[in-house]
Amino acid sequence: MSRTLRSFAVIGVALVVFGPLGLIIYQSFLSEAFFSPTASLSLGAYRYVLTDSGFHSAFGTSLLVSLGMTLISVPLGSLLAFLLVRTDLPGKKFLEPWLLVPIFLSPVVLAFGYVVAVGPVGFFSLWTKALIGRVPWNLYSLYGMILIAGLTHVPHSFLYVSSALRTLDPSVEEAARVAGAGPWRIAATVSLPLVLPSILFSAALIFLLGFELFGLPLVLGDPAGLLVLTTYLYKLTNLLGVPSYHLMAVVALSIVALTFPLVYAQRRMLRTAGRFAVIGGKGQAFRPLPLGALRWPAVAIVLLWLVVTVLLPLIGVALRSVVSQWGEGIKLFDVLTLDHFRELKGYPNLVRGIVNTLLIGSIGGALSVVFYAIIGLAAHRWQSRWVSFLDYLVMLPRALPGLIVGLAFLWVFLFFKPIAPLRTTLFSLWIAYTVVWLAYGLRLISAALLQVKPELEEAARVTGAGQGTVYRDVTLPLIRFGLIGSWLLVFMMFVREYSTGVYLLGPGTEVIGSLIVSLWGTGALDLISALSVIEIALVGLILFIALRLGVRLDA
Amino acid sequence: MPDLIVENIEKQLGTAQVLCGVSFELQQGEVLALLGASGSGKTTLLRSVAGLERPDKGKIEIRGKVVFDAATGFEIPAEQRGLGLVFQSYAIWPHRSVFENVAYGLRLRHVADAEIRQRVGDVLARLGLGHLADRYAHQLSGGQQQRVALARAIVYNPPVLLLDEPLSNLDAKLREDARAWVRELIKQIGNSALYVTHDQTEALAIADRVLLLDRGQIQQDGTPQEIYGRPTSQFAAEFMGSNNRFDGKIAEISANRARLENHGWSLWGKLRGDKEPGAPGTGLIRVERVRLADGGGENHLKMQLKSALYLGERWEYVLQLGELRLRVWGEEGRAPGECWVAIPQEEFWIF
Repeated sequence: MSRTLRSFAVIGVALVVFGPLGLIIYQSFLSEAFFSPTASLSLGAYRYVLTDSGFHSAFGTSLLVSLGMTLISVPLGSLLAFLLVRTDLPGKKFLEPWLLVPIFLSPVVLAFGYVVAVGPVGFFSLWTKALIGRVPWNLYSLYGMILIAGLTHVPHSFLYVSSALRTLDPSVEEAARVAGAGPWRIAATVSLPLVLPSILFSAALIFLLGFELFGLPLVLGDPAGLLVLTTYLYKLTNLLGVPSYHLMAVVALSIVALTFPLVYAQRRMLRTAGRFAVIGGKGQAFRPLPLGALRWPAVAIVLLWLVVTVLLPLIGVALRSVVSQWGEGIKLFDVLTLDHFRELKGYPNLVRGIVNTLLIGSIGGALSVVFYAIIGLAAHRWQSRWVSFLDYLVMLPRALPGLIVGLAFLWVFLFFKPIAPLRTTLFSLWIAYTVVWLAYGLRLISAALLQVKPELEEAARVTGAGQGTVYRDVTLPLIRFGLIGSWLLVFMMFVREYSTGVYLLGPGTEVIGSLIVSLWGTGALDLISALSVIEIALVGLILFIALRLGVRLDA
Repeated sequence: MPDLIVENIEKQLGTAQVLCGVSFELQQGEVLALLGASGSGKTTLLRSVAGLERPDKGKIEIRGKVVFDAATGFEIPAEQRGLGLVFQSYAIWPHRSVFENVAYGLRLRHVADAEIRQRVGDVLARLGLGHLADRYAHQLSGGQQQRVALARAIVYNPPVLLLDEPLSNLDAKLREDARAWVRELIKQIGNSALYVTHDQTEALAIADRVLLLDRGQIQQDGTPQEIYGRPTSQFAAEFMGSNNRFDGKIAEISANRARLENHGWSLWGKLRGDKEPGAPGTGLIRVERVRLADGGGENHLKMQLKSALYLGERWEYVLQLGELRLRVWGEEGRAPGECWVAIPQEEFWIF
């Protein structure tokens, strides 16, 4: 039983990871798309891409954006983590779940929200212009893009730094307090330096995510002519009139060549991080550091970030979805309408997209959690070299942006004829989603499995239960709540996913996220705003259920 | 036929040799304590018997059936050894009621429902848990959880009951009570038991026989009286009880006696082990065997009483003679000053 499970896990994961990756590598060495009868082995694609000035500038922009957003989100995220975890910040119980919300919002929706809120003719831009006569910001610029990317990635560094701070022994801060240090000095000289490994880890993560950005640069960079590597890849799709798969494969590989070392470095950092922190007593009650007069400026910082990062784009999207038109000189109350939502019904592909999004999130998400659980259980208390092989395997997809995984699976379904019919079904999308979220899903599962003390399983073994029976009678029942929580989180991630479905988009595989990307090219703002509101509502509903059930969002 | 035969077990964990060739037998109905400090390998040994660890070398037999043999690579998995194991943390399954925790082993053995109800009911009643059958672990006190763990391990009549520090999570008062009833229970059901503990009082009280382990080796194997009263090695002597230690030189040997001396004192005691006159030696005597004397005599020392500490049920005197410091117990308070101490020859061991 456990033998079958373990072989299935290793072989299954190896197939879904190496299959697509291998196909990209193969394609990159061909002179044309792999299905073309005249395709031959060639380095031409590499020569073309690596000497293309567009590629060079996209590479430079990607690097700048990654660096810039890391410099914004890491300090801000660490500061917010300190304020929310270690101090008596007023209203922190209420604020905390909101801090993680941007993780569950689709970047393309957020970007669209910024366009309609603070773009050249956005609601807030025009209202500001009416007040002071001009718009003092320019969204469509490198700086605008970096700022927004930085602000929306604050939760990622908050997540890692706050969980490290939570395990910090409060007495090290109390010692600094007794010695006469104020809260800011404690943060700067004691708490944050002690969690430095987690801060660096989150910096590496955000730097990595910078190269995978797609929605933000597509929406915000494109109008200003700014291309990053992913949008350069996306533009290549129709560059030559015929599918330029060989060029796309080279660009995809160049992105992976950047992200893979980062993922590997992160893994090394994680291994050493454990040796650093001062772990205190288990969940002991401690008195948070009093901020004193600084509490109101501190609350203001948190609220300002929330308003700019969450409220602004959400209000933008919501408003845009209920106005018939918007521009200079239009009064909001004259143009209110619900027509855009009614219009959706006229587009069968959009209706299918909404239904498919629900299906892939609920049923697809559940199946993915089952898949992740099988892998998690297979590796659970398995002492073998295969476990570290499996570890490396599941790490690989983290270096693969959704856009590339989607593209690779499109090729897999075109390449392997027997499974070709599956391309136009939700299965193709599901398997791509499952691979993209593999590392995330496994982290959820192993967090749940960590809660199971080994003696509970050993007790069953000694009592007479075989490994399979132990899983059935002890392990799985004990982690069932963790599995439900994982399902809800994966549900949200699948609903907000947009880039993975871009290349797989076709009749039968429409989902809200990829529809928004393709509609963006046509400028159908009315439909985009209505779809965005529906997606936000879906995510909001699941988020609400998850929070009510006490699911931890910071996995 | 012994219930359990352990032959020459060796086990390496990482770079540490945890067990270096341990052998023993457990007779039918016997309670054997594995006593040792942390890191002595006692828990690894127990887990090897249970099948939760795989030793590198050696052989294990349960009731005449080989369950592990490193020479042939043969191993019966834990679930097929049919043993009962009580964990230090109890490991009560939190998602099952007390009844279901105890019934689990019987269900795995396909016992009929009616019989399960009856047997579980009997065991729970015997352990005073009858009224708690429907509770869950978090609704039980530590003592109750401990009894559930015991009930779960004995309900299917395992040939050998394994207990891994079963009382160490109880508070002191409960632990003293538990010693008595755990031994009574094991004796009543007639099981043989392997009992791991680091607490010497617990080992002496509960076991018929004690194996003293140190750094993966058996230091002494004997009855509680032998282990405490006739230690065969300096380690065994110092590990048990509270001791006074005399470091000196062996001055003279006669038959099985030796005279140990150092600046200002010279004492006769029982010689343990091979020593030559002139070799350095260590004398040990249990604190409770030393008495204050009224005057000089054979094996008496004249010492300075430095302080007298009141410990509740007795007094403890700290005495000094040059570099030699002794602890002696007595009944009444005493003022500092000179006094005589008697070191009985029979109780003074020289290693």
